[in-house]
Amino acid sequence: MSSFFFFFFLISCLFIFVCRTLARQGACVSRPQYTVLFRHAAPMGTTAKEEMNKFWAKNAKLNRPMSPHLTIYKWSVPMMMSITHRGTGVGLSGAISAFALAALVLPGNYPYYLDLIHSLYIGPYLIGLAKFGIAFPVSYHTYNGIRHLWWDIGKGFKIPEVYRTGYTVIALSVITSIAVAFL
Amino acid sequence: MAAIVRLSSVCRRGVKPLFYQSTFLARPLAVPHTYKEHPYQLTAKIHASQALCAGSGSKAASLHWTAERVLSILLLAMGPVAYFNPGPFMDYSLAAALTLHGHWGIGQVLTDYVHGDAKIKMANAGLFLLSTVTFAGLCYFNYNDVGICKAVAMLWSK
Repeated sequence: MSSFFFFFFLISCLFIFVCRTLARQGACVSRPQYTVLFRHAAPMGTTAKEEMNKFWAKNAKLNRPMSPHLTIYKWSVPMMMSITHRGTGVGLSGAISAFALAALVLPGNYPYYLDLIHSLYIGPYLIGLAKFGIAFPVSYHTYNGIRHLWWDIGKGFKIPEVYRTGYTVIALSVITSIAVAFL
Repeated sequence: MAAIVRLSSVCRRGVKPLFYQSTFLARPLAVPHTYKEHPYQLTAKIHASQALCAGSGSKAASLHWTAERVLSILLLAMGPVAYFNPGPFMDYSLAAALTLHGHWGIGQVLTDYVHGDAKIKMANAGLFLLSTVTFAGLCYFNYNDVGICKAVAMLWSK
C-alpha cells in the first residue's frame, strides 16, 4: 500500500518535471511576437546532420588520413573519466544483454547456475573481488551519471568544479564498491 | 514595434540585429547604417538560436534529449525502491528502464563513431535487434525464473 503511494508520488514528480521542461523549451517559440522573426529570418540550406555526413563522405572518398588526436593530446582526468563513463556504460549494457541472451538460450534455471558457480570452491577473496568487479562499474556509472545530470541543469562547469566533482565521484565509487563487496 | 520591445526584455542576446532585419525587408530603401557594417552579426544571430529556424526544424531531437534525462532520473530512483520493495512490478520496471537506457546510450555511442548513411542504418538496426532480444530475455527471466531483484539478492548472498 505504501509502495503504491510512493510510486504515485514518483510518477507525479516526473510528470511535473517533464511538463516544466517541455514548457520551458516550448515557451519561446509559441509567443506571437516570434512570428515576426519567422517570416524574415533566413533559413540555412542544410541541416547539421547533412553537413556532418558531407564532411565524412568527402574525406572518406578522398582517402584522407585522420589527423592524430588521441595519440597526441595530453590526457586529463576529466577526459579519462568521460571515456570510463562510456566504457562502463557499454560494458554494463553488454553484460545485461549477455545475461538476457543466456536466460533465453541456456537450459536450466538461475539457481542451478548459481549453485554451479558456488560449487567451484572459489574462496572468499575471489568472491569479494568478483563482487567488487560488478559493483565498481555500476557505482562509477551511477555517480558519474549524477554528475552528468548536474551538468545538464547547467551547474559545475568551471574547471576547478569539474575536477572537484570528478574526484568526489571516483572516491565515492571506490568506497561504495568496497562497502557493497563486503555485504 | 511593441513586439520588438517586448522581445528585448526576454532575450538579452541582441535584438538590435533582428530589428534591423525586419525593417530592412519592409522598407528596402531605408537600410540602417549599422546593419551594413555588421552583416555577420545578423547571420550569427539567425543560426545561433533554434527558435529562429523559420519553423523548418522539428523538436524531436531535443525531446529525445529530455526523455533520456527523465529516464536516467527514473532509473536512479528505481535502485533504492527495488532494494526496499522487491517483486514482479520492480522486476519488469527495471527490465524496461535498463533496456531503454542502454538502448539510448549505445545509440549515442553509435551516433558518435559510425559514419555514412548505410553504416548508420545497419548499426541502428543491429542495436534495435539487440535491445529487443535483451528486453525479451529479461521478461522471460522475470516470468519463468526468479526475477531480477531476487537474482541480485541471491547473487550477493554468497
